[in-house]
Amino acid sequence: MKKLNFSPVLTGEKEAVLRNEVRAFLKQYGAFNVSNIIDSWSICDPELSRALAAKGWLGMTWPTKYGGGGRSYLERYVVIEELLAAGAPVGAHWVADRQSGPLLLRFGTEEQRQHFLPKIIRGECFFAIGMSEPNSGSDLASIKTRAEKVEGGWLVNGSKIWTSWAHVCHQMITLCRTAPPSEDRHAGMSQLIISLNHKGITVRPIVTLAGEAHFNEIFFDNVFVPDNRLVGQVNEGWSQVVAELAFERSGPERFLSSYQLLEAAIKTLREANITQQAEPVIGQFVARLMVLRQMSLSVANQLQEGKLPVNEASVVKDLGTSFEQDLPEAMRLILATEPRLTANDGVARLLSDSILKAPSFSLRGGTREILRGIIARGLGLR
Amino acid sequence: MNEIVQLIEESATRLFEGFSTSKGHKLMESGQFVDKIWSAFQADGWLTTLLPEEEGGSGLGLEGGCVLMRLAGYHAVPLPVVESLLGTFLAAQVGIKNHEELLIPVILPKAIDDASEITLAGVPWARHANSLLLIFPADNGVNTAVISCQDAEITADQNMAGEPRDNVLIEVNKLANTQVLKNISLDQIESWLALGRAAQMAGALQRVLEMTVEFANERTQFGRQIGKFQAVQQQMAVLAEMTSASMCAVDAAIEHLGTEQEWELIASAKITTGESAGYATKTAHAVHAAIGFTQEYPLQLSTRRLWAWRDEYGNEAQWSTKLGRYCFGLQTDNLWSWLTTQTG
Repeated sequence: MKKLNFSPVLTGEKEAVLRNEVRAFLKQYGAFNVSNIIDSWSICDPELSRALAAKGWLGMTWPTKYGGGGRSYLERYVVIEELLAAGAPVGAHWVADRQSGPLLLRFGTEEQRQHFLPKIIRGECFFAIGMSEPNSGSDLASIKTRAEKVEGGWLVNGSKIWTSWAHVCHQMITLCRTAPPSEDRHAGMSQLIISLNHKGITVRPIVTLAGEAHFNEIFFDNVFVPDNRLVGQVNEGWSQVVAELAFERSGPERFLSSYQLLEAAIKTLREANITQQAEPVIGQFVARLMVLRQMSLSVANQLQEGKLPVNEASVVKDLGTSFEQDLPEAMRLILATEPRLTANDGVARLLSDSILKAPSFSLRGGTREILRGIIARGLGLR
Repeated sequence: MNEIVQLIEESATRLFEGFSTSKGHKLMESGQFVDKIWSAFQADGWLTTLLPEEEGGSGLGLEGGCVLMRLAGYHAVPLPVVESLLGTFLAAQVGIKNHEELLIPVILPKAIDDASEITLAGVPWARHANSLLLIFPADNGVNTAVISCQDAEITADQNMAGEPRDNVLIEVNKLANTQVLKNISLDQIESWLALGRAAQMAGALQRVLEMTVEFANERTQFGRQIGKFQAVQQQMAVLAEMTSASMCAVDAAIEHLGTEQEWELIASAKITTGESAGYATKTAHAVHAAIGFTQEYPLQLSTRRLWAWRDEYGNEAQWSTKLGRYCFGLQTDNLWSWLTTQTG
């Protein structure tokens, strides 16, 4: 049984200064182009992404020789949690900043880093995640999209699905089968960087139950990808994906998706002067949030130390998404307001929006059941 | 701090491991004081853990004390570790040097005024204590007074884990050595006691998790270890998550001792350990099935403690109410900036 590590970390003066800079920026920036603030990291506002880039808040932890900030993971943590808590629509650059860039830094070639990282850092190049397929969700190793070796590169055929912002993003890191399935079902996969403006690519939007069209199905029809767009080692895609997930699963976006509702609920109840009954409920959720922040920050610090806390990241994601899903369920009972997506009244709209979006919180980035399976393996049960 | 934590862990583990093999629990539950264990505990100097070195203590502070309390919880040590350490520390603040005796701190919710008797319920270990240190509000601030347990009328009672929680009747004219306690508030003492319990609970949760993993890997049904069943794995993963959250919450509270955020983090630690206790006990017993429901099997030493401790020194609802009330009292839109003061 491997002990899970969540040693608490305190941020220092540098982080405090940075936090105030982000708050000042947000105050000055004013209203976002997109007003919907539940799950703001799934909402795309390229203009905001470029403004953040101008502040040096994209690729913050990356080496300065690529234009990165050379800052720590704790500093990045502070910036992103401030943006999320404010409901800033940071979706455009989110994947590139969180996982694609770090993946290239870990496994990419020097040419790939020099080509992509500066563009990501300037807010000019957004990345999509190319993992799930119509018949491969939780069972990611069963993917069918094929990359066939041809002269000078790879020919990709197949499809990916649930790809957020594929119609806005420029590139996609795509997990493909590069060797036929064998006994080792994790073998024979590779990651390719595919430019999404290729003529062999069709992007079809999929509308969510909340009425939004941010994710898509993507079809690849004989898409040629040059050799220099293979990430890392051929047929080693699986272990690279696992590493990518440590970055994907532990951040504050895993518990702040419905945070705006908590603030609005407190405000509404306070203004209506009916707080007494709600005190224990608010206190309970605030306590959970306090601990999640400590845990997520601890994981950020472990990433800084060069560790790959895959199990800890899974713990944060499972506890965090449970929190953001439980929140609207509890708030509706203390608010006694009918959820209304059309309401001008903030809290009724936030309530409705978070209830409608909540199912996705624990699906994206690895379902609850998959995460618990990873944790169980860490316990020595599998 | 990490090296100190490791040192405390090593020496306390050596001591406590000896205890768990003893018949201490049975003795305690039959109403006796486990002198042997107490003497060993005392001889190792743990009683003065919280005192600075110049006062004859080990200078580990409440930070170090909490590590010891967590381990005591892990090993289900049949001693009042939290109360004896804090009792000794608080007594020292009013000039009472106590490096040997069992002194239990008890907070009175209101001033004594002109009452002639005080009745107290659920006082930890009163029947075995040398004296109680009463802490109460008075016109001139927080006061303390000492009552020798020989002078009090004590009726034995116990919590769900069989730990002494006695009823005490005190004649006010027998109180001695009334002092003003400076620089420490009643709320603070209340929260330190809660943190001590939360630390014990984090230890007990860790123990429950380990026992349950071990059992799931050994017990075979339907031709395979029960831990191989996904239904079991999924529950165990949540058990591990909640245990991690509890450990982290307690560690964060320890990290914030002496800061403005002290009570907030302690509140979250007591809430988190309390919530985790419910899930952990339910799951551990489900996995262990009937054998875990017996007195003979040691799981109950940890689960009964968790059930008792989550309601002592404030349960989840009480601490949540306090925390929630505080949040409603914050200036509009200040929730987030308040939260972020807790990480640096």
